[in-house]
Amino acid sequence: MSEVVSIYETNMLNIFRCEFEDGTVRLCTKNLSPGHNVYGERLIRYNKIEYREWNAFRSKLAGAIMKGLKESPLSVGSRVLYLGAASGTTVSHVSDIVEASGKVYAVEFSPRVVRELIMVAQRRPNVITILADARFPQRFRTLVEAVDVLYVDIAQPDQAEIASYNASLYLKKEGHLLLAIKARSIDVTKEPEEIYKREVEKLSSNGFDVRQVVNLDPYDKDHVMVLAKYEGK
Amino acid sequence: MKIYLVEHAIGAFAFNDRGELVDYVHNNKEIGKVVDYLLENEEGEPLPSSLELVKKVGAEEVVVEDEREVQKLQAKAGVKVTYATSHVGARKFRESLESFALSTHFASTDELYNYLHQLSLELTRRKLRKAAQRRDLLAIQAVRAMDDIDKTINLFSERLREWYSVHFPELDKMLEDHRQYASVVSRFGYRDAIGNKDELVELGIQEAKASRIIDVARKSIGAELSEADIRALTSLSDSILRLFQIRDELNEYVDSVMREVAPNITALVDSSLGARLLSLANGLDELAKMPASTIQVLGAEKALFRALRSGARPPKHGIIYQYPAIHSSPRWQRGKIARALASKLAIAAKIDAFTGRLSSDQLVDQLMKRIEEIKTKYPSAPPRQESQKQESQRQKGKRERGRGDRRRRGGRRR
Repeated sequence: MSEVVSIYETNMLNIFRCEFEDGTVRLCTKNLSPGHNVYGERLIRYNKIEYREWNAFRSKLAGAIMKGLKESPLSVGSRVLYLGAASGTTVSHVSDIVEASGKVYAVEFSPRVVRELIMVAQRRPNVITILADARFPQRFRTLVEAVDVLYVDIAQPDQAEIASYNASLYLKKEGHLLLAIKARSIDVTKEPEEIYKREVEKLSSNGFDVRQVVNLDPYDKDHVMVLAKYEGK
Repeated sequence: MKIYLVEHAIGAFAFNDRGELVDYVHNNKEIGKVVDYLLENEEGEPLPSSLELVKKVGAEEVVVEDEREVQKLQAKAGVKVTYATSHVGARKFRESLESFALSTHFASTDELYNYLHQLSLELTRRKLRKAAQRRDLLAIQAVRAMDDIDKTINLFSERLREWYSVHFPELDKMLEDHRQYASVVSRFGYRDAIGNKDELVELGIQEAKASRIIDVARKSIGAELSEADIRALTSLSDSILRLFQIRDELNEYVDSVMREVAPNITALVDSSLGARLLSLANGLDELAKMPASTIQVLGAEKALFRALRSGARPPKHGIIYQYPAIHSSPRWQRGKIARALASKLAIAAKIDAFTGRLSSDQLVDQLMKRIEEIKTKYPSAPPRQESQKQESQRQKGKRERGRGDRRRRGGRRR
């Protein structure tokens, strides 16, 4: 592993770039639980602050930022509803970014990966773990509040509908949606481009103003990240 | 009156059609209870606080958020119930959860989120439990691995101390803690490289001690070593540090699994003692079948069977000696506390094995009360003569047995 040359903040709040001696540049975030890593990522001390490397091959949000996402809707204190939290890789970085005053409501349906998610949440007081089906948002209504950002990464054929339904219940007006679309889990027979277009149209007709569509290649093949603003219905 | 009902982990809230808060009933703050309510609520059962609220307000019509709750609320509260997702009250409430928690005196913002965090962990663990299959076996293996690692760390650390003492003999006495010792060797290698106080403080060493170490390093009487010698030493110390790290990770893992499979045991004693109990009993089911008296002496089998054979006094405690209230109490209170703890553990194990409900608050409360009682009732050692009497009885017992043995042996010979 080569040495770190410098770390500086990107134009997005609390998201940093780390330059290494060999010339590579990677993303990182300030570690909210110093001394601990989540998925084997490298911890870096720089100017007395501990950072965690953010692997763009493991996290679609990092991939989207590397591929030129223009603005990040996350800020210190943000409330985030995260559907499809899986084992908590991206969740942990979102939790770093919104800091202790922010909250991440992490919803995941598979018990197997929730076991890992819960280990992440134990050390991070700003992560609220919810084992539930994102299709039925009423079932976790007793734990959540209205949020500034809705992050959806659930790889379901009807994910645009699920996202819209959750938005109508919990997303604040003027709040943001980040939606990861995996073309192959929507329809294997169609061209990815066609699928993205159709999904974006669905979002528009449900009250979203789509700001940017970022292709995640080479970090993830046939994936895009959509950033949209919620105008409400 | 028509109310819009909002149910949340903190309670039930009623709004009118203009989105103004009419009235509210908080949930009980006991997490174990609220988890039960929320699990039932997910199946469409109204919260107890909702029923209370509907009565309190005297509502004629209630609008709920979940379709499945309509029928059950109607039957239980005897009012007209309809449903609407994201109704006026729901929007209002969730937009400012914090201020509703504050204005109704539920909790401050920090307390609120701390409560939600704890609650979400407990609720998730309960749901995971249903999908769990013999995960107690994993906790058992992990805690055994932790014990193995402890042994290895001690073995390696002793070797490292002896070896590094060739170069810097004074350090051995100055740093009792194995982890600090290994990290000093790993970080600096040569004793001459130890010169910066801040670097030592960063390793968790107190400032005064750090200055002393630097001082002593200058005047050390140890031998000079070559690069290769130091490299061999630092690689051993690196391994020790890595073992410490694995131990930390395992500890956290055991904690997570134990809170899922045996939440009540884990609440009474901590997760590593809980896992050791499971390990000695060979599983949660086995532990649940044990009487409290067996749990009390788990891990002291050798002493117990010796006592049964020879008539000596039986052990007061087995592995539960690790419980802080036992090993930090005076000798004559330990047996009583051990008995109290073991009986609560027996109850907790049965709850964990058969229902999984979290009722530890009650158990912990009762145990604390009993320990308090023991401490006030038996503040000083029992009178000396009593123990002498016991001693002489024991001696007598031994003598009698001795004679009996002799006679029997003689008989056989004949």
